[in-house]
Amino acid sequence: MTRHTRVLMSVIYWAFVVYLFVPLALMVVMGFKDSNFIGFPIRSWTLDWYGTVFRDAEVLSVFGYSMAIAVMSTAISLFVGTWLAVLLAERKFFGRLAIFGLTVLPAVIPGIISAISFRIYARLLGIDPGMFAIVWAHAVHNVPFVALVVIARLGTLPRSHVEAAQDLGADAIVTFARVTLPYLRPALIGGGIFCMLLSFDDFVRSYFLGGYEPTLPVLIFAKLRSGMSPEINAISTVVLVLTAVLGLWAERSMRRMNRA
Amino acid sequence: MDPAADASRTYPAGRGGQGASFWGRLVNAPTYRAATEAVFRSPRRQFALLAAFPVLWVVFAHLGPIVQMFYVSFLDAYPPSIGETPQFTLANWTGFFRESIFVMPFMRTLAFATVLTLATLILTYPVAYFLAKHVKRERQMIMLLLLLIPFWVGEIVRTYAIMILLGNNGAVNLALSWLGLTERPIPFMYTGFSLSVGIVYLTSLYMLLPLYSALEKIPATYAEAAADLGAGAWTRFRRVTLPLSLEGISAGCTLVFLISTGYYATPVLLGGPSTTVFAETVAGFFHTAGDQWPTGAAFACLMLITALVITGGFMRLMTRLAKGRRT
Amino acid sequence: MSKLILNRRKFIHTAAAGSAALAAPAYLRPARAQAGGVVNIWTYDSFVPESFVERFQKDTGIEVRIRLVDDQGKQFNLLAAEAPDATADLVTVAGHRFLQFIESGLIAPLDTGRLNNWDAIKPVYSESDWATIDGEKWGVPILSGAEILAYNTEAVPPEDRDSWDVLFSDEYAGRTAYIIQDMMSVVMLYLGYDGNMVEYIDDPDKAAAIVTEARDFLIENKPKVRKYYDAGAEIQQMFVNQDVVLAHAWNGPISKLIMDGFPVGMSIPKEGSYGFVYTLNVVNNGPNQENAYTFLDALLSDPEIGAEMTRETGYLSTYKGAEQYLSELEQQASSFPDEQLERLKFFRAEANDLKYGLVDPAVEEIKAS
Repeated sequence: MTRHTRVLMSVIYWAFVVYLFVPLALMVVMGFKDSNFIGFPIRSWTLDWYGTVFRDAEVLSVFGYSMAIAVMSTAISLFVGTWLAVLLAERKFFGRLAIFGLTVLPAVIPGIISAISFRIYARLLGIDPGMFAIVWAHAVHNVPFVALVVIARLGTLPRSHVEAAQDLGADAIVTFARVTLPYLRPALIGGGIFCMLLSFDDFVRSYFLGGYEPTLPVLIFAKLRSGMSPEINAISTVVLVLTAVLGLWAERSMRRMNRA
Repeated sequence: MDPAADASRTYPAGRGGQGASFWGRLVNAPTYRAATEAVFRSPRRQFALLAAFPVLWVVFAHLGPIVQMFYVSFLDAYPPSIGETPQFTLANWTGFFRESIFVMPFMRTLAFATVLTLATLILTYPVAYFLAKHVKRERQMIMLLLLLIPFWVGEIVRTYAIMILLGNNGAVNLALSWLGLTERPIPFMYTGFSLSVGIVYLTSLYMLLPLYSALEKIPATYAEAAADLGAGAWTRFRRVTLPLSLEGISAGCTLVFLISTGYYATPVLLGGPSTTVFAETVAGFFHTAGDQWPTGAAFACLMLITALVITGGFMRLMTRLAKGRRT
Repeated sequence: MSKLILNRRKFIHTAAAGSAALAAPAYLRPARAQAGGVVNIWTYDSFVPESFVERFQKDTGIEVRIRLVDDQGKQFNLLAAEAPDATADLVTVAGHRFLQFIESGLIAPLDTGRLNNWDAIKPVYSESDWATIDGEKWGVPILSGAEILAYNTEAVPPEDRDSWDVLFSDEYAGRTAYIIQDMMSVVMLYLGYDGNMVEYIDDPDKAAAIVTEARDFLIENKPKVRKYYDAGAEIQQMFVNQDVVLAHAWNGPISKLIMDGFPVGMSIPKEGSYGFVYTLNVVNNGPNQENAYTFLDALLSDPEIGAEMTRETGYLSTYKGAEQYLSELEQQASSFPDEQLERLKFFRAEANDLKYGLVDPAVEEIKAS
């Protein structure tokens, strides 16, 4: 690559970063606005909105609830999604296309439809609305993403690695655990983060399947009824910081685990 | 390889003679060997074991709700009023074709989804390329994660932030007038433009990850080899990188297309009077009276089938393209 | 209020607490709720004042569990999906949406005899024509809303604030917004018809012709509108961002803008407009009906609670004497002159099947055109 394209590329990358972060920056700034509404001009500033967030224990407990749902549903999605991917990538078999279609199905159903169909189906199965129902719906919705990422990664797994392991006497399970799984690691991390994001940000499924405890987007949606106040921005900022801290902590402890 | 013939072999213990590793011990444990032997002796049994759980899962968890939705789309009322049995009807499906008004948002949605998919691809390809090819490996992850940060903020909050960015009295217009570039505010909001800004924000995420993972695994040596053969930068990209990233492009486009046909909140908040999308139409049936649910369900099925057919065709095309390149 | 609660409390101890204790094992319930159980309420954010909830919990021992909802339709869907084993005791339905909930058997008739404070509601709300269906009352009116014309006081001169005309004028083209569903009713009224369609209940052809006329009118004026919006927060943001200077809106969100000092005002235009009333409704088969009545009675016990609701939501209070607890700005922001209030009619539900059967597709046609 020539120097020029290289510079151009990095300019595009950073322009993209700016595009993603400008709304975010506005959100953070508006959390300090001394008014009941966000927007310009900002005549005076206040820390009260942040005070409200921390004084009101609800936001933090709701954050914890949403996180717990995200983690649990992600774990299920990773497990099921990987298994599906291994099945689909393995070989050609009768009905493979049908299974593939079914695998991606939950990802492509418009949110509101999927939420209502989940709700009706949950009733059919006798699952009560609440945490379990939300985890289940999120897990199902996110399985396709894990499966797609893992299938893509499996497609590049060099046959020779697997064959080498089998020559050494490993059976299918051991080969999977010692060769395939480590090779899938980046895909699983990527897919996992993605699932957490989707679960954390999901409103419509959480709304229809939730009980009396709201998830974060459900809480924000309800608060929005009385206007997009700086309080909502303050909540989102606090949540952002908390997730960033959690993410960094997870990354560091993962690295430490690897070193050990 | 025939696993049965191979069963007599033992799995070597861990690397560098650390003694029996967990896996070594597991494989050599009699119960494990008995169990696996029984399964692996027949490839068919092995396959059945591999397939059983996922197949059950997709049928019950993935297909179940949709079947229910299909079923509802043929009823005359849902949820049924107490004491009444719903009747089967085709009216909900034929309604779409009878009333030309629904065709417009339907086609618009497909057109939007196509355009936005392409826009997202063009916008994020350089970003993914830069990350995968020009950034040091150990920094790639952190720079990728940087791009994911904004998504931890709820869609709605982000969308309102875009409103105060693009509004007549928003950040962009204030900046433009401060710079003396405009005299009157430019009405960015509630147009196809503001809609695209909001949607591409969401779709870029789905495009970026498959593109990145496809590009990241193309060995640098390929391009070097091509360069040694005298290929210019553009030729190298066109003949080497692009074909090898086709798989990522196809996965990303499929995802983005399918997902963007279902977007609801962002188009409703950022779009204008002339940008009504089909998801809004469908959601309308679910927001109003209960006897409209079946119609909504039928329309949702219709959108789903159409989107799946289109992406199915697209993926087939991409596979053929990828095969054609290779030979 | 304490007095009332004391009486109630005795009753609860003898009757309700006994049955509640039988219904669920003790370890499943939070300790504090043991005296009075719980009441599950679905309502909009800040409709039930927090200060009241705290006091009520302390006085009665009944735990108040609030599930915030953000949309009538979703609430209906949710409740319908749960039926017949509802988890909610009280829901918040707008008066003209009753019928849908009643027909689906989702809410129960209100036994006003069990509410000592029923008289605390202004008769214009408690005895209004929409409030009685099948000879029964179906909800406790708490807040009243109206379809109003909102304007930016700096951009719209006083002579342009008294008619719906301005929304369709070339002068303000590209600077207006409306809620399209509600606008259909307003336009029918504006064109000289009955937007409730009760008059045409026996003449579906006439009704269809009127809806078509209103639809064509809105399609014709579509190039002039900046945005068809749904949520109160959206219109507030449009005024703050100066994307619009005139809009059709509900009074609540606009009133909140005025209270916050934005240069915005509102009026009920001379062609008239429609009003609606939010009510709390007892759910059919709800698990804690006795507590639901206790809650409703306590909520009505003091006009100050009504004032607090208005302060929080911007909607008019249905309580007798709530105004006296509002500051001057709050009163100004949340009320209308009498001559404007006289132009207001309530939404009616009788012809809803006819009306929305025609209006819903028309709305889709306008959006799609």
